[in-house]
Amino acid sequence: MQEILTAVSLGSVYLLFALGMSLTWGTIDILNFSHGSIFMFSTFTAYLLLESVSLPLVAVLLIGVVVGAVMSLVIQKLAFEQILKRARDKRSAEMQILIGGIGVATIPLAIAQHHTKSNPFGLQESTFDVTVWRHGDLFITNVAVYTIILALVLWAATTLWLRLTRQGLAMRAIGVDAETASLMGIDRQRLALLTMAASGAFAGLAGVMFTYYLGAITPESGDTLLVKAFAIIILGGVGSMWGVAFGAFALALAEVYVQGHTSGSWTDAVSFGLIFLVLLVRPAGLFGRKEVRRT
Amino acid sequence: MSLFYDSHLVLIQSTLTGLLMALSIQVPLRMGVFSFAGAGCYGFGAYAAALLVIHQEMGALEAIALAALMTAGIGLVLGLVLARLNGLYLAMATVAFDLIIGVIAVNGGEFTGSSTGLYGVITDFSMSQMYVITVAVVALIAFSELGRTGRRVEAVRDDPQLAASVGVDVRRYRIVAFVVSGALGGIAGGMNVMVRSIIQPLDIGFTLIVLALTMIIVGGARSWVGAVIGAVIFTWLPDLLSAVGQWQELIYGILVAIAAVLLPRGIHGVLVDGYRWGKRRRRDGRAEELASDDGDEPELVLADPAPTPPDQHGLSRPTTDARGRA
Amino acid sequence: MGGFNGSRRTRRGATLAVAMAAVLSVAACGDDGGSGGSDGGGGIPSTVKVVGIEPLTGPAAFAGLSAQKGYELAIKQINEQGFLGDGKKIDLSWKDTKGDAATAASEMTAAIADRNVAATFGSVSSQEAVAQSPLAQKAGLPVIYTQAGSDGVVVGDYTYRATPLMSSYYPIMKKYIEDNGWKSVGIIYTNISPTLDEIGTKTLPDLAEETGMEVTKSVETTSATQDYSAAIQQVLDTDPDVVSILQIGASNPTAMTQLRQAGYTGKVLGNSGASAGNLKPAGADGAGMAWPVDFDATQTAPSSQQFVKDYTAEYGEDPLNYAAEAYDAAWFLARSIKEAGDASRDGIKDGMKTEAGKTEDGALGSDLAWKDGTIEVPGVVVEWDGTGTKLLYAAGDS
Repeated sequence: MQEILTAVSLGSVYLLFALGMSLTWGTIDILNFSHGSIFMFSTFTAYLLLESVSLPLVAVLLIGVVVGAVMSLVIQKLAFEQILKRARDKRSAEMQILIGGIGVATIPLAIAQHHTKSNPFGLQESTFDVTVWRHGDLFITNVAVYTIILALVLWAATTLWLRLTRQGLAMRAIGVDAETASLMGIDRQRLALLTMAASGAFAGLAGVMFTYYLGAITPESGDTLLVKAFAIIILGGVGSMWGVAFGAFALALAEVYVQGHTSGSWTDAVSFGLIFLVLLVRPAGLFGRKEVRRT
Repeated sequence: MSLFYDSHLVLIQSTLTGLLMALSIQVPLRMGVFSFAGAGCYGFGAYAAALLVIHQEMGALEAIALAALMTAGIGLVLGLVLARLNGLYLAMATVAFDLIIGVIAVNGGEFTGSSTGLYGVITDFSMSQMYVITVAVVALIAFSELGRTGRRVEAVRDDPQLAASVGVDVRRYRIVAFVVSGALGGIAGGMNVMVRSIIQPLDIGFTLIVLALTMIIVGGARSWVGAVIGAVIFTWLPDLLSAVGQWQELIYGILVAIAAVLLPRGIHGVLVDGYRWGKRRRRDGRAEELASDDGDEPELVLADPAPTPPDQHGLSRPTTDARGRA
Repeated sequence: MGGFNGSRRTRRGATLAVAMAAVLSVAACGDDGGSGGSDGGGGIPSTVKVVGIEPLTGPAAFAGLSAQKGYELAIKQINEQGFLGDGKKIDLSWKDTKGDAATAASEMTAAIADRNVAATFGSVSSQEAVAQSPLAQKAGLPVIYTQAGSDGVVVGDYTYRATPLMSSYYPIMKKYIEDNGWKSVGIIYTNISPTLDEIGTKTLPDLAEETGMEVTKSVETTSATQDYSAAIQQVLDTDPDVVSILQIGASNPTAMTQLRQAGYTGKVLGNSGASAGNLKPAGADGAGMAWPVDFDATQTAPSSQQFVKDYTAEYGEDPLNYAAEAYDAAWFLARSIKEAGDASRDGIKDGMKTEAGKTEDGALGSDLAWKDGTIEVPGVVVEWDGTGTKLLYAAGDS
């Protein structure tokens, strides 16, 4: 039972992180490999501010959201938009966005590493205290509860937005066929900026919550999550909202189970082995559409 | 010169292994197969070659050859098993394979030296052997880019359906891509362990994939020349940047980002364009001379050279661009 | 803090400039420079060129930068004292490995090829050191490491390690265990670092057997582990008297926080990876972790206190163990050169062999001896109280 609580908490963190990545990848075809860097740097900024002034949780979250969104917008404007403008075809654009993202990611990383010398940093200086709620043998922290709520609410809101609103329809149209969508009068650039801003905000939010959840992170923490989020989205199927939620909780559950019942040394092999097997059976992920891309 | 050679020996060796590593990812990519299995094969090859030297007292060349044979076999199996996967799904499956190789290395106990890895792999491997192997392998790859094979490879990448319809066995090409990629990875890993005499689990992680991919994208993804350019740049750049001191990582990142943004077909693409532009200019120049003989205004000729997309020239066939927008 | 950082930055900038100038001048005059200790043998030249190859940026920078301070303090003292003879100086320059093993190896080859380089200080990171050692040993270039506690670092008569292996001094925890009367222990260790892997799978279980403790559970974590709750829960389910957390630096605050959240209030057996203020982010949850270490600024040996005094005067902060180890490494080199009366590579090798047969006082303590190319240190046990470490006891205290 405690394991399920742990898995749900961890899964929510994964979901919060992967949600933003999945959103841009599934709609505007941007697999953003600087997402982990945005995640880390938003928290890092909050940490720096907290050194001089103590702030409540809401303010810290707001800092994370704003820094994440702004970074994401800047990266979209300066890097991804330029790549798309110059790219000859979709496949080479995909690859360049991947590498461009990796390149961009090292910039905030280098700054944070330089400042912290890669020592862990946390958000203890805020007025928010992590407390533990116990019930019999079970326990959960207030951070974990907030993370679960935030992840689920934001996931549901994003899903509904994509399903029900005109903008969401436009987003989905872009995801299916960008050219035609443009012809139908959809302003791709503006929607792309909006999506990237939302994605960055999610990353910032995830960064702050995860740092409270773990107590501390290091400049390199985003990289570890990045590979996991990539796996989560693929496992669920790119562009599927159900897929990303399932992927996040499935990976967390697999990790928690293996780490909680075995000597632990094979944890990574089990989770990645599972993803490998799932892909053998379902080549487009569990909830993936059949390749929507036509040639 | 020899002082320079001696003091940069490690960088020269890394350039050669890095080049083969980059090719092991570039070769399948050129066939439209998004596989990173080459990185896992690099790790497997390095451990296999090390173990063969340590336990079987094999010579360096035999150990590398045998390791490459094994990783080619692994490539074959992966090619068969992952036949239905495409695009980034295939990428993820192969990344998973790479990470699992790493986990096995850590969990191999005494056999793989667990987190310490294997060390003391001392052989008679020489630099001339390393050069010969690398040049031979690169020559083979370069050869495959020419003529019929080269055109078929492009067809398989750009339009598998069309390729199939004109009688190219797409499936077989894909599997060959996996086998070649595996062998290249194995050779790279094997050679690396021979010159370094050690192999550790941390040497074969996700960063290996990132590095190889960076080399290819920035160097140029369409030709072995791009891989050579990328391998040289990204092996030597960190060394050059160390003069900058503490912000070298920052500058490295900015350079990679700028290259990825501004050079859609990598540095190789720029060179090819430049070469063609120069050739055209000479041609135009000749035309100009002829034209001025006829008394035409040179300005008119100069106004003309609208930079035609390079791919409409010679080497590539029309199919390449026909679906460029897909 | 800000002002201090600033001054350190300029200092480092200056060091780099000097290092670069040195490189340039060497490149300019080829290998005929009369300044260095080439293999000519015999005598100590006016300048002995030594290169430090450390991770000064990247994930291991915290240790590399700290070691750098220790080396520079020692070299400064050696030069000011004229320890090697009148007007004879050690010229120390730096190369940054950026936390990359290939770069570490590459910088080592560059040092080997430069015949003016008499000796090197090797990387604090095991992964990098293992890549450097075979090169240095084969080419006959003396190298002294600190940290780097893996197999394959000390591989011959040119390679020495001025940090004791953690497994050699971890057993001083015996007194702590016996004083507390624990009868069972649960272990959570990482497989990322060969050192902690060894402590978790061998040293601590052996110690447990010796002290009559039962290991109720041992769980391994990996480089991808960020959340330790599942591993902690599994260990706590077996209800051990004490928990041991053996993680690299940055994971310690998380593991401690989550251990406290899971309801464990007792002491924790840790490792020196938790030092250097790494536990600070855990706040009060970090209190109660105890570990053995080869050096703590509060230890009482006179030579250690002299070092702490000099270091504090120079840098305005307490030294970490990395700095103390580096300080001793630099003095070991200087003594070896003096002993041999020869600053050629082979001369230094012979000098190191002789010196390693003696015992000396140093930053790490009194009567330090060497065994198989690695220094041996009695060690002290410290405990984190939530804001800083306090010394519990030194080896041999009863």
